[in-house]
Amino acid sequence: MPGKTPDKEPVENGGYRGGKDIADKDLKTKGKKASKKDDDDEMTVVVPPSKTQKPSSAPPPNDPEGDVAMDDTEGEPKADPVAQTINDIKSDFAHLDRAVALFDARFTLRALRSISSIRKRLTPDILAQVIAETYAPASAGAPFAKQMLQAIGRPDVSLGRQLGQEMDIDSEPKAAGGKTGAKKEAKEAIPEVDVFLGILTQVLLHDAKQVRRGFDFSQLLVERIRSLNRRTLDSLAAKVYFYYSLFAEQTAPLPPSPQSPAVSIRPTLLAALRTAVLRKDVDTQAAVIVLLLRSYLSTSHISQADLLVSHTQFPENAANNQVARFLYYLGRTRAIQLRYTEAHEHLTAATRKAPSSACALGFSQTATKLLLVVELLMGDIPDRATFRQPTMETALRPYFLLVQAVRVGNLEDFETIIADHADTFRRDGTYTLILRLRQNVIKTGIRMMSLSYSRISLRDICIRLHLGSEETAEYIVAKAIRDGVIEATLDREKGFMKSKEVGDVYATREPGEAFHDRIRACLALHDESVKAMRFPMNQHRLELKNAQEAREREREMAKEIQEGELDEDDLGGDFDAM
Amino acid sequence: MADRELATLLARLKSSSAALPYPETTALLSRAKLLLLQLNALTPSPTSPPALLALARDIYEQGALASIRNRDAPGFTRYVAQLRPFYELQRHGGGGGRDDGERNKITGLYLLLLLTQGLYGEFHSELEALAGEGGLDEVEGDRYLGYPIRLERWLMEGSYDRVWKAMKRGEVPCEEFGVFSEILTSQIRSEIASSSERAYPSLPLASTKSLLFLDSEGAVVEFARTRGWAVRDGTIYFPDAAGASAAGETADKEKELSLMVVENTLGYARQLETIV
Repeated sequence: MPGKTPDKEPVENGGYRGGKDIADKDLKTKGKKASKKDDDDEMTVVVPPSKTQKPSSAPPPNDPEGDVAMDDTEGEPKADPVAQTINDIKSDFAHLDRAVALFDARFTLRALRSISSIRKRLTPDILAQVIAETYAPASAGAPFAKQMLQAIGRPDVSLGRQLGQEMDIDSEPKAAGGKTGAKKEAKEAIPEVDVFLGILTQVLLHDAKQVRRGFDFSQLLVERIRSLNRRTLDSLAAKVYFYYSLFAEQTAPLPPSPQSPAVSIRPTLLAALRTAVLRKDVDTQAAVIVLLLRSYLSTSHISQADLLVSHTQFPENAANNQVARFLYYLGRTRAIQLRYTEAHEHLTAATRKAPSSACALGFSQTATKLLLVVELLMGDIPDRATFRQPTMETALRPYFLLVQAVRVGNLEDFETIIADHADTFRRDGTYTLILRLRQNVIKTGIRMMSLSYSRISLRDICIRLHLGSEETAEYIVAKAIRDGVIEATLDREKGFMKSKEVGDVYATREPGEAFHDRIRACLALHDESVKAMRFPMNQHRLELKNAQEAREREREMAKEIQEGELDEDDLGGDFDAM
Repeated sequence: MADRELATLLARLKSSSAALPYPETTALLSRAKLLLLQLNALTPSPTSPPALLALARDIYEQGALASIRNRDAPGFTRYVAQLRPFYELQRHGGGGGRDDGERNKITGLYLLLLLTQGLYGEFHSELEALAGEGGLDEVEGDRYLGYPIRLERWLMEGSYDRVWKAMKRGEVPCEEFGVFSEILTSQIRSEIASSSERAYPSLPLASTKSLLFLDSEGAVVEFARTRGWAVRDGTIYFPDAAGASAAGETADKEKELSLMVVENTLGYARQLETIV
C-alpha cells in the first residue's frame, strides 16, 4: 500500500504527457490531413461552416509577414514573437542534443511536437536567422545550410552571423538566446539538428504553397537522410518522408496521372521501407507504408496496394495516427475488393482511432463516409446518431439521403440522389462503391414489401421497384428468397409472391448471440485496459528492495526458526532420549 | 532485320488468325516472341522506340485474342499481364501517341473472364482502376467495357433475363465476347435453378422451360434429372430440403442452444473471477 502513492504520480504524469502528445500530434494532423486528402480540402470549402474556420486557423503561417499577424492571433503581449520563436527553435536543439546524448527518442518527439506551435510563427527570415546562427561558415553542415537558405529564398544570408539583428530588438530574450546560440556555434551542429531545420524548411515551404521548390528540397533532404545511419534520426526521418510525399503529390501532374511525381517517388519510398525494416525503424516504417498505400490508391492500383499490405507487416507499436491512416487505407482496399466484413472492421477501427479533437475532422469525415457506404453494402443501416454529430452533419448530408433511400428501398429516390450528388461522391472516392448499392436497394424494397403484404403480385412488385418487366421481378425475387433476404414462396401460375409467417426472433438464438457478443466486447475491453496500464519505471526496484527486505526478514525468521527448530530437535532428541 | 520479320509475322497473324488452327497460331506467336526478345522489347521500357513498342503490343494483343478464341483462359490471363505494362507506358505519353490499340477490347474481355470465373474482387479492382483514370461514365459508355459492367450489375441484381437478352440478340460487341456467352449461360442457369429450388414449391414443365432458357421440354427433364428434381405429370417438384430437415433440426437446435447458454455462462463466471 505505501508503494501506491509514489507509483501513482508517474502514471498520471505519463498519462498527461501521452494526452498532450496526442493533442499536439493532432495539431499536426490537422495541417496534414486537411491538405493530405485533397477531397477533404475541397470538402471543407464546400461544406461545413464549422470546418471552414478550422483550416483557416491551420495554415495561418501562410502569411509571410508573420510578425504583424501574429500579435493578434496570439493575443498575448509576449516579449517579441521573433525572438521568442528563435528561442523556441533553439530550445528544440537542446532537446535533440539530449536525445542523442541520452539515446532517448522522447526528446526527439518533444522537439517534433513543438513544430506545430512554431509553425504558426515561422517566417523565412526567422528560419534564415536560426540557420545563420547555427552553422559556422566553415563547418561540415555549411553546404547543407546553404541549400536550406536557398530553398527558403534567402540565399544571401551569410552563415555564422552574430546575433546583431536580435540585439536591436530586445535585450532580455537575447541574453538567453545568445548564450545557447554561442554554445551551439562552439561545437558542430549534429545531423539531427540539420534534419530538424530541414523539416522546418519543408513546413515553411508547404505553408507557403511553394510546392515545386519544396519537392526539390525534400529530395535533397531525403538523400541526406539516406546517407546517414543514426537511430536517433528515425522519427525525424518519418516526418521528412511524409512531407516529401506530400510535396510530390501536389506537384504539377496531379496523382491520377501516371506521370505524377507521386508515382515516381515510389522506388525511393520502397527503398526507405526496406531500410527501415532492416533497421527496425518503426516510425519510418509505419509512415512509409502509409504513404505508399496512399500513393497506390491515388492511382487506383488496388492490386499493388493489396500486395504491399500482404507482404509487409505494419509495426504494432506505431504511432496512433499512423495506425488510423493505415486502417483507413486498408479498409478502402478491402471495400473495393468486395471484402466488406474486413473493410468494415478496419474502418470502424480507423474512425475510433482517429483523434477525436476537431483538428483531425477531415480524416474522421472521410473515414466515416466510407464506413457508411460499406455498412450499406453489407446490408446494415447506419446509426442515425452518426448523422447528428454537429461536426459531421453537413458533410454527411448526401450520405444521409442515400441511407434514407436504401432504407426505404426506393429505387427512384436512390437514382436521383446518385445523379444529384455524383460529384460529391466522386470526389469522396465512393462513387463506384455506391453504384454497387443498387442491388441492396432492390433487396430492401422486396423485404419491405414482403413484410407489409402477405401476398403481392409480381406486377405490383415490378411497378413499385421500377423494374423492367415481370420476368425480371420474378428472377430478382427468386434470388432474394435464395439469398435469405425474405422468407416467401412464388406462385408462377398466378404470378404472386406469398410471404411466410415471420418467426419470433426471441425464440431463436439471435438474442443470446447478441448478448454474448456484447459481453465479449466488454471483457476484451477490460483485458486490454489491464494490459495498457502503465507502471512507473523504477517501481520494480522499490518492490525489489521491499522483496529483498522481506527476504532478509524471512531469512532471519528462518534462522530463528531453525535455531528454534534446533532447539526443538534438541528437545526432540531429548524426548527421544528420554 | 528482325523487326521487319516481326512486322510480316504480325500481318500474317492479323489477317488469318481467325482461320488458323490454334497450334499454328501459337507457333507463330512464339516465333514472334523470340524476335521480340532479340530486339529487347519483350518487356517495355521507357527507352525502347515507340514503333517497336506498338509492334510488341500488337503481337501480344493478337496472342490474347487467339487464346480467347480457343478458350485458353490461363493463356489469355498471361497475355493480359504482359500487355499491362505496355498500356501503362502508353498512358505515360511515352510511346505511340493516342493510339490505344485494342486496349478496351482486351480489358473488356478480361473483365468478362473474371466475371465468369466468379472473381468479383478482382473484377472490381480492375474496374476501380478504369474508373480512376477515365471517369466511370466514359467507361460505361464504351462499347467493349460497358458490356461486362452491365452484365455484372444485372447478375448481382438477379435480372437474369436481361443478361440472357444481352447475350443473345446480337448485342455482343464482337465475336470474342461470344465465347463467354456459353459459360455465362450455364452459370446463370444454375443460379436460376438454385433460386427456383428455394422459391417455388413446384413448377410446370412449360414455364420451367422459359425460366431456364431451355429449348425443349425434353431438355428440361434432362436438366431436372441432373439437379435431382422429381418430375410428375408435367410438373417439377423441388425437393423440400428445408422442410424435411427442419423437424429433426429443432430438437438438435434446442440442445445446442442450451449447451451454448451453459458454455457462455461458465465463461462469464470464469472471467468475472479474474476481474474480482
